[in-house]
This record gives sequence, structure tokens and C-alpha cells, in this order.
Amino acid sequence: MPQETLLLLKNIRKPNYKGDLRAYRESGGFKALEKVLKSMKPEQIVEAVKASGLRGRGGAGFPTGMKWSFMPKNTGKPSYLVCNADESEPGTFKDHVLINEDVHLFLEGMIIGCFAVGCQHGYIYIRGESIKPARHLQKGIDELYSAGLLGKNILGSGYDLDLTLHRGAGAYICGEETALLDSLEGKRGQPRVKPPFPAVSGYNGCPTSVNNVETLANLPFIILEGPDAFKKLGTPNNAGTHLVSISGHVKKPGVYEVEMGVTMRSLIYDFAGGIREDKKLKALIPGGASAPVLRASEIDTPYDFDSLAKIGTMMGSSAMMVFDEDTDIVELAWRTIRFFNHESCGQCTPCREGTFWLKNLVRDFLDDNGDEAKIARVGRVSGGMIGTTLCAFGDAAGGPMRSFVEKFPEDFLAHSA
Amino acid sequence: MAEFSKKVMKEVDALFARYPKKVHALGMLLHLAQRENTGYLPEGWDAYLAKLCETTVNHVRGVITFYNMYRTEPPGRYHVMVCTCVPCGLCGGDKVLEHLEHRLGIRPGQTSKDSLFSLEEVQCLAACDQAPLIQINEEVHHRVSFEQIDRLIEEARRKSA
Repeated sequence: MPQETLLLLKNIRKPNYKGDLRAYRESGGFKALEKVLKSMKPEQIVEAVKASGLRGRGGAGFPTGMKWSFMPKNTGKPSYLVCNADESEPGTFKDHVLINEDVHLFLEGMIIGCFAVGCQHGYIYIRGESIKPARHLQKGIDELYSAGLLGKNILGSGYDLDLTLHRGAGAYICGEETALLDSLEGKRGQPRVKPPFPAVSGYNGCPTSVNNVETLANLPFIILEGPDAFKKLGTPNNAGTHLVSISGHVKKPGVYEVEMGVTMRSLIYDFAGGIREDKKLKALIPGGASAPVLRASEIDTPYDFDSLAKIGTMMGSSAMMVFDEDTDIVELAWRTIRFFNHESCGQCTPCREGTFWLKNLVRDFLDDNGDEAKIARVGRVSGGMIGTTLCAFGDAAGGPMRSFVEKFPEDFLAHSA
Repeated sequence: MAEFSKKVMKEVDALFARYPKKVHALGMLLHLAQRENTGYLPEGWDAYLAKLCETTVNHVRGVITFYNMYRTEPPGRYHVMVCTCVPCGLCGGDKVLEHLEHRLGIRPGQTSKDSLFSLEEVQCLAACDQAPLIQINEEVHHRVSFEQIDRLIEEARRKSA
């Protein structure tokens, strides 16, 4: 039976692990930060992260070290690191596990990240609905201030850092990094025109890196064990482990930590215990609601960024939603498009109008009023949203909708007038 | 009156100190204002917060209407959120919502006559492995059954009797 590879959940999987500062320190916590502050320069951290091959775990999979190296130096402006803890993608719930159960692993990573980009005031943007996790996170931050691990002159190194927790207020789009930055600036969370990218002009017009919770939580390992130890895990170009959120019709839904490149079949049948009531697998969404759907025959693909891109979908934030043989894909399409229609910020016409008309079209099928022309229309309207909007939302809504009609036309035809 | 108390003003000042511009704290101040006003923003608070944050009333209204969680109508004492998004929806979220509508006698977006309950259909609450789920005020309830929902409602009614 394959086992988890524990790098991020190492503490959490210990029985009776309490997750407070004391417990974290007793299991070797903050040794990486000590090493960084005593013996490393910011550029060395950026180089180590580049060498490790770490790619962002928030969905886009962009190389983290490279993202940091795009930030200009000596601009006379402060540099910022903003952590994206918005976690709003349907199917994704792994950052919540880190925040709730081993908050200091994440915070240590955040402090190392801030040091690497020369940031003296970092922000953590957490979604508004997560009231208890936000309180827990604030408690963790307060503990670090009391212990001299945040604030002035951390561990006597001369490095000053403040961390501020900022709560969102219920808008999926604020997970998009420039919408998040606008939201953090007290505005409506609408994605910005790019370029300039946040690395050049981000929070308050200053150089900014926006990084996901899990991405940052990988930093203590990379610092202590070295980039090569990290790169050894996973597949070429997809280094490390990742936290996979598995939900839907499986026996054991939950978060599992595996090396990149484990097959989706193994994740569903070995880790998540197989399909509920031993039914057959029908479909799989491999990367949150924004990822195009796969048929059951495609699950022998390795689960990593590049392998999934090759088969026309994406791994996103590693959120697998699994559906059994009784699932009606029209129903799935309806849930998906309703979500995207609700969450479109309304700025770009293809997305605002496209999600509206797609919702109406799918509604027709639900009412058994579909036909072949309408199936073609779903594909056409979806296609018109892809690559035509300011942010990735158009692709995120259009891609899955087009895949539903392309991969499961029979389900739509069953709802013909 | 639309104004923070002296005690809360200390929290406000602490928030302002954490951002390079006052208006950046607006989102957090709106949460604070709702906490001080039983979960919503009564009349006059938009103008008050605009003045505090040195911005326009229109800007504040634009922000309030953009985000789901800022309300200009009072919610019930127990605000019940039901997720009917992808995993929850395909694991019985709709039936949970129907059951709640039936038990509480209100539809999503409404508040019960006794102001005890309000109901909202929400998108992903980020605990999809525990589907279907509901959140009552701050508390998330996992893999809810009809019996569990009935118990929670009864408990809330008893506490308020």
C-alpha cells in the first residue's frame, strides 16, 4: 500500500500533536529561520528556492524563486510579501489544514519568504468566511510577537518584520493576485490590467510577491535539507510533495500529502479508499472547479502540473473532485456555472455575459429542453471566454464548461426536448 | 448613532497603524462595524467610515455592495449558511437547503419574523471533504444530517426562549 510522503504534514500526522509554538519548537521548528537569520543573505535564499524547483501551490504553478527574482531592488520603495490564504476554489481545502493544525510551519515559511524579498511588513489575506481559522492564525502571530520571532530585531539579527492578518469578505475573485491586492487596499476586488505585474507594482504601487500558504510552508524544509533534497522528490520540473484535497464520491475524502507524479488512480483508490459503495468512477475534476473534466479512462496520468497540462486540463491547487457512475454531468455543469456566474466580478464582458448565458443554456438542459444546437452553443460561448478576459477567470469558467460538453455529450443529449 | 465607541476606536487606531494608507483598513473596519451592530451596517455607517478612512461615501458603498459578507439589512441572531457548490451540491447540499427552508419557514435571503434565523445559500466554504456542510454564525457543521439540523435549530430556539 503506498504511503504518504510527509514533509508538510510531518507534525500533523503525529498523534496528539498540539500545533502551538511549544510543540512546533519541540519538533525542530524555527531552526530554518535561525539558520537564515544567522548565516544567509536574501539572495542566497532566492537562489536556493530557484534551485529547489519549487512551483507555486496556489494554482498557476509558477516557479517561486523566479517570481521573487522579478522584484526590482533599490527602488526606494518598500517591498512586500503578501500571502494568499483566500482558498476559495471549490474542492480546495488544504491550506486550511496547515493553518488550523500547524500554523507555525506556515508562519516560519512566511517569515523566511519575507526576509528573502526584503519585506518588513507582510500581509496574510484570509477569506472572510473562515472566522475561526482567522482567529487561530492571529493567535499564532501573537505568540510569535511575544516570543521575539516577529517585531523588532528578530532573534537578535537586526531584521524587523511585522505581519498583519487581513480578512476578505466573501469574493472568490480575490484569490486572483491583483484582485487580492486591490481588496487589501480597501477597494472592490477587481483584477488589474497586467503588466505591470505585482513584482514591479503590487501592493500600494510597490514591488510585491503574492505567494500561497502551502508554497511558503515548503521553505523551512528547503532551507534545512537543501534544494537537492527537495528536487529529489516528485518528477522532473515538478519537484516536491503537494497536498492533495480529495472530495466527492470517495470513501475517505480528505487531504493527502504525496510526491508530485503519483497517478490519479493511486490517489483515488489507494489513498482515498476508492469510490463510495464500490460504484464505478465516471468523471474527475483534477484541479478545482476551474479545471476541465476528465473521463475515468484518463486517471492513469501522473498527477503533476506538466502531465495534466499535456492532457488538456490542469492540476491547479491539487483539488480532485471525484464523481461516481450515478453522477449527471449536466448537474455538475449546472453547479459549476452557477458558481462562476455568481463570482464573476463583472469587469470584462466575455466573462460577465458568458457565464450568464451559459447558466441559462445549462438550465435549459436541466429542464429537459436541450438539443444538439444548444450543446454546440455551450461549446462556442465557452470558447469565446477563453483568453479574452483581464484575468484567468474567463478560462477558469470557459474551460470546464467546454470540457463537459466535449467529454460527456451523451449526458447532455439525455436532456433533449 | 453611526460612530465607534471610544473603546473600539483603540482597535481602529491599531488597525490604521498596520497599513500605509487609512483606506486600506476599510475592509477590516467594515467587519468591525458589523460586529458592533449585530451583524450589519445600519444607515449612516457608510458616511462615517468614509470620513474615518478619508475617502468618499461612494467608494465605501462600492465596496459594501461588492462583497457578500457586508450587509445593510440585519441578519437573524443565527445566520445559517448552506453550501450548494460543486462537492456539497453533489453530496446532498440542495436537500439540506430544502430541509432548512421547510423547518425555518424562510427562503435564502430572508430573515424569520422573530429575527432568530436568517438563511443564505453560499459558495464553497473550503471543507469539501466534509460535504454537505452548513455554517451557523462562526461554527461550521460537517456532514450534516436532517436530524442534526433539527437538533441545532431546537437548541438555538431553546437558548433564545
